[in-house]
Amino acid sequence: MTSQAKGSGATTVERPSGFAILQIVLIPVIAALNYVTGVIVNILKLPIFLDTWATMFGTVVAGLWVGAAGGFLYNIIMAFTLWGLPAWVWGFINIYIALITWVFWRIGWVTVKSPVKLVAAGIIVGVTNVIPVTLISWGVFGLMPTYAGTAWIYAAVLASTGDTLSASVVSSIIAEIPDKLISLVLAAVVASRMPARFTLRPPKA
Amino acid sequence: MSSTAFAILKSGYVARDTFVHRLDGRTKFLFFLWISVFNYIFYDLYVTMVSFTVVMFLAFVARIQKFVMTVLVIIVLPIILLGMGIIGGPFGFSQNRTAIAAVEVFGFTVGLYLEGTVYVSVWTSRLAVTITAALLAYVTTHPSDLAAIMLKSRLPYKFAYAFLATIQLIPILTNEITTIYQAQVSRGLNVQAKLIDRFKSIIVLMIPLTLGAINQTQIRAIALESRGFSAPVKKVMLRDPKLRASDYAVMTIIGIMTCIFIYLIWTRGLVPFMVGIQYVRPGG
Repeated sequence: MTSQAKGSGATTVERPSGFAILQIVLIPVIAALNYVTGVIVNILKLPIFLDTWATMFGTVVAGLWVGAAGGFLYNIIMAFTLWGLPAWVWGFINIYIALITWVFWRIGWVTVKSPVKLVAAGIIVGVTNVIPVTLISWGVFGLMPTYAGTAWIYAAVLASTGDTLSASVVSSIIAEIPDKLISLVLAAVVASRMPARFTLRPPKA
Repeated sequence: MSSTAFAILKSGYVARDTFVHRLDGRTKFLFFLWISVFNYIFYDLYVTMVSFTVVMFLAFVARIQKFVMTVLVIIVLPIILLGMGIIGGPFGFSQNRTAIAAVEVFGFTVGLYLEGTVYVSVWTSRLAVTITAALLAYVTTHPSDLAAIMLKSRLPYKFAYAFLATIQLIPILTNEITTIYQAQVSRGLNVQAKLIDRFKSIIVLMIPLTLGAINQTQIRAIALESRGFSAPVKKVMLRDPKLRASDYAVMTIIGIMTCIFIYLIWTRGLVPFMVGIQYVRPGG
């Protein structure tokens, strides 16, 4: 379970080398962090969700499949408890978020060292996320307004177009862009503050 | 979500000795899946209201009605109010034709329309039914039974671990964030500050929480390995849930009702009982 430092001198125990099991154990942590973020949002009375930031964080610190699995598990837990069965499909949003975060991480945009790229990545994640959000809203909520924060936008667009799809898309854009932007910035900042001894990626060959 | 909603997941299993508790977890999850699927197939307020009555009756039998009502008030009631006010009202829902109650105010018609009201009622009662059925299955099934069911259903044991560990971790992390929050307040954190400052406050709460959780990850990994988590052997279960006569009775009722539902769809369509109401597709 643990690896020993190579070379001469005293034998010291370094970080656990069983990265596979570390990553499995991290999956429920990511799901729980997504969930507990709701407590913080409640405490601070913030007008956003932030329930995908841990998916992004997990993707950055431990890899694509860990972030995606943790995010998907969060939605499974919510579907089997508080949101009802159809809400499990929100899990695909978390998989999409993990995928696009991984892409931006691979090209070096998810880092606090390049704030402009980080903000651009957050906005792109928010805008593109509207597509899966609208698809799920269509199938699960009948394109109804579900979030009080953007309900007035929904009502305004519906009044001018008579179309629930347009109303849902526009209100999603307004909600998603700041939410995903702040989530990605938060994930990058927290990942940047992680001590090296907490590394969750296997060392490169 | 509110603190009440968190309290429900914090408490998890509610220990009672009722008919619902004694049912096998597989039966309860089958019921949950079955009633959810059929409620989303039918577009009929009568069907969803009868389903809602059934699941609420079972919630009373299981003595978890307070839990269920609290969750429904937190999650479904806001959607009903928003939906009724916007889609049922005069904001231009394209299907609205028949005014239930309307008044002229400065040349504008303000009121509720039948089509929009039914649309919102059907969709929100679908949600209410699935949420209640989910809580029935989750709150009345012991976590060890949940794990055993997953393994018996041939799900990978790693998934079963992840699912149960998440349920265990949520109360732990919720308690930790409370501690961190109190510590930060004593160091000057102001939750009544301007919006920008409150956004900045996320960082000071999230970093200690996340680093603490990652630290525990390493300890958990060591603990799991010490119990042979990755060992290439067949895993054994702490509990071995078995189907009983009551489970077979419930499954038989589900089977009979499925036949009746299929017959209804075949003969009367997806709106079998509501007269004069068209099937309205989302966005259509």
